[in-house]
Amino acid sequence: MRMDALKRHGPFLLSLFGGLVLWEIVGRNTSAAFMAPLSGTISRLIELAGAGELWGELGSSLSLFVTGFVAAVIVGLPVGLLFARVRVLREALDVYIMILYATPMVALIPFILSLMGFGFAPKALVVFLFAVFPILYNTVEGARSIKPELIEVARSYRSSEWALWREVMLPYTLPYTMTGVRQAIGRALVGMVAAEFFLSASGLGGMIMTASQNFDTAGVFAATLIIGLLGVGLMRVGSMLEQHFARWRG
Amino acid sequence: MTTVGAALPAVQAKARTRGTALPRAVAGVAILLVWQVTVRAFAPDFVATPTGIVEAIPAVVSSAAFLEAIGITLAATAEGLVIALVLGTALGLLMGRNAVADRALRLWINSFNAMPMILILPLVSLWFGYSSLARLATIVFAAIFAVIINAAEGAQSVPREYLEVGRSFRSSALRGLFEIVLPASMPYLLSGLRLAAGRAIIGAVVAEFFTAIPGIGYFILYNSRTFHHNEAFVAVIFLAGFGVGFDALVNWATRRYLPWYRRDEQTE
Repeated sequence: MRMDALKRHGPFLLSLFGGLVLWEIVGRNTSAAFMAPLSGTISRLIELAGAGELWGELGSSLSLFVTGFVAAVIVGLPVGLLFARVRVLREALDVYIMILYATPMVALIPFILSLMGFGFAPKALVVFLFAVFPILYNTVEGARSIKPELIEVARSYRSSEWALWREVMLPYTLPYTMTGVRQAIGRALVGMVAAEFFLSASGLGGMIMTASQNFDTAGVFAATLIIGLLGVGLMRVGSMLEQHFARWRG
Repeated sequence: MTTVGAALPAVQAKARTRGTALPRAVAGVAILLVWQVTVRAFAPDFVATPTGIVEAIPAVVSSAAFLEAIGITLAATAEGLVIALVLGTALGLLMGRNAVADRALRLWINSFNAMPMILILPLVSLWFGYSSLARLATIVFAAIFAVIINAAEGAQSVPREYLEVGRSFRSSALRGLFEIVLPASMPYLLSGLRLAAGRAIIGAVVAEFFTAIPGIGYFILYNSRTFHHNEAFVAVIFLAGFGVGFDALVNWATRRYLPWYRRDEQTE
């Protein structure tokens, strides 16, 4: 039993350990201005956490992420279902949705900056823009693939429009939407950091900017590490959601 | 049989485009109209409007500043993309064919791939200064992981029989790599290339935002800061067009020159 676990997780742990050791060695043998070793990064992290700075910035970043992301779901899911239900709307707008999906959202940041300034709203808008299209797109694709028979049967039983949405369309589409949600998590995270870099320095992204301006390389690595871990954790949540709803796929 | 089978979807597709052309056109006009009217009514004069953008296009497209910016960014993107393709394909094929390499690297490759690419900006500007080298590093970082992951997947997908036949005919390992593994993983490499190209140009743009070195990203930044939104938006249209255009180019080239690779049609 224990051998089994070792065999399964051994390479993973070895790879993790090897990478961390390499980081430490490289970090120790380069100038402190260029690279911080793992130990230096961790001790700086503890320092920042102890001073409470880290938690404040983490909270600020998370509230930005959550605001933009929730807005993206609130808009993306119903609009996606509406597009799937109303064919004219979908056919009229799908090209434009694709165009927006293909537009690199970072390129719009300078416009948002000069229109809306440095507040919280423009930053949440950036996160929203990064996240909304994968959700919308996958919802439309999912809802389009609903078997017409299902809707016909519901209609035959005189289902109301509301019941049709709740009982047929939503359950059928959610697994697809969750694929969009998983993709959107990654993009929203990029949007979050981009907003914190390019709009006004705040949160973890702002922490990185301040640290790099002060040549606090360990600080840069510490904040980068936290965002990286946050990303891995959020992705894990996204994959779990996707897998959970995948069971509904008909 | 095949002619009928092929003709039928084409007819249907034609009928469908005729059906959608009108709503599409109406929606397009409506979007532009709403944009134009809203901006004119509520936003300051410098904000981009459809008519403003159209008016700005000739001047921007023929201006030396714009062409130079595009040239610089595209050259840097191409350079970074080539580096990412060569290194990434080599590493990916190694991971795909060698279980030890795969186990040693997979965790890190996946983690870096999941990391928001722009996080690298403060570090590369620390390492390379606010220079075009920082941009090149960002482009390579943005593009390489998609290449590695796709190349590894491609190398893993090579049917074992191919390699066994190669070995039976006493082909060397190197020839097996170049003449069997590489061609057989081509569909994966192509989808890696498409992903990587999109990320590479975005990498170039964000690096230019961050380091303020000349290029299309800086063109957007500078023009939007000096309240020339119409001009800046022309560059955004160019960027979106590049993404779509490159995708279409790779698809077209695949169909034209490598028609036996039809992975796209299976996945889509």
